[in-house]
Amino acid sequence: MLGILRRFLGDKQSGQIARKRMQFVLMHDRVDITPDMMEELKNDIIKVLSRYMEIDRGSIKVDLEQGKDFMALISNVQIKRVYRHAT
Amino acid sequence: MAGKTIVVTSGKGGVGKTTTVANLGTTLAKNKHSVVMIDTDIGLRNLDVVMGLENRIVYNVVDIIEGTCRKEQAMIRDRKVQNLCMIPAAQTREKTSINPEQMKELCSSLAAEFDYVLIDCPAGIEQGFKNAIAGADTALVVTTPEVSAIRDADRVIGLLEAAMVKNISLIINRLNAKMVKRGDMMSIEDIISLLSVPLLGVVPESEDVVVSTNRGVPLVHDRSSKAGAAFRGMADRLNGECLPQDGNGSNGFFGRMKRLMWN
Repeated sequence: MLGILRRFLGDKQSGQIARKRMQFVLMHDRVDITPDMMEELKNDIIKVLSRYMEIDRGSIKVDLEQGKDFMALISNVQIKRVYRHAT
Repeated sequence: MAGKTIVVTSGKGGVGKTTTVANLGTTLAKNKHSVVMIDTDIGLRNLDVVMGLENRIVYNVVDIIEGTCRKEQAMIRDRKVQNLCMIPAAQTREKTSINPEQMKELCSSLAAEFDYVLIDCPAGIEQGFKNAIAGADTALVVTTPEVSAIRDADRVIGLLEAAMVKNISLIINRLNAKMVKRGDMMSIEDIISLLSVPLLGVVPESEDVVVSTNRGVPLVHDRSSKAGAAFRGMADRLNGECLPQDGNGSNGFFGRMKRLMWN
């Protein structure tokens, strides 16, 4: 009864909250990448991409995502213009 | 043929390692296997009280390793079950009084005599943990459905993999089916997908566990206890028997669990 009422009020079930939090925590525990390393990685990605295209440096995002039995690094960046010839 | 050496570990304390060792050991011995249990929690021994054998301790695992006694002298026979004995931890020594090499040697010499060597690992991931896993070919990681226990279990699984312990399976202890149903506890599926190791079994939360440790009689002796039945099922699966969980077939929760384990 309490559960139904809570769901009705839009309260998330604590079991699901726990699962989501653990997904995030375990992923970071496993890779053990420091914020400094992440920043360096970001800069390197920018450096490589800049040889081929003009990108919005401020828009770059690098995230780790946990798949079912793999881990993925996902990076999103806005492209302004692609160079015709690599510089 | 050498017996199996199995370490029961968890990272976090108080999740049920010692209870698991006591109940799996007792069941395997009841099923006519020869079993020795080693308490490696030096300084904080507990397997003796859980088994109800605390009054019989003369020598301990450190005495064997230091050569103060022969290993037969430190083995305490169980009161009820034949083929079952236990080597207690030292209570007034340091974890550093033994090292992984010595444990490895002890485990392999015991595995030559027994079908099963069950190692009760201390909490934590320091020296005591390293000693406990050194001689093991199989690891059972115990967790409860709580975030702290799961996080620690994940760390331990990583360390076991790094230490080349090949067979790792999971035991989920103290699952409260009502809370899972209500959505206020992570489900078996949630936990398995987080930790991604195969499941050996699930023990429902039960007051019987407290009662049995109060008495110093392992739970599996009580035929009416559901938690005891869960441990019996795990022992059978550990032994390679493909027995389905008994008596709970109609229950949705156990049905799901069964499917997870047999696929």
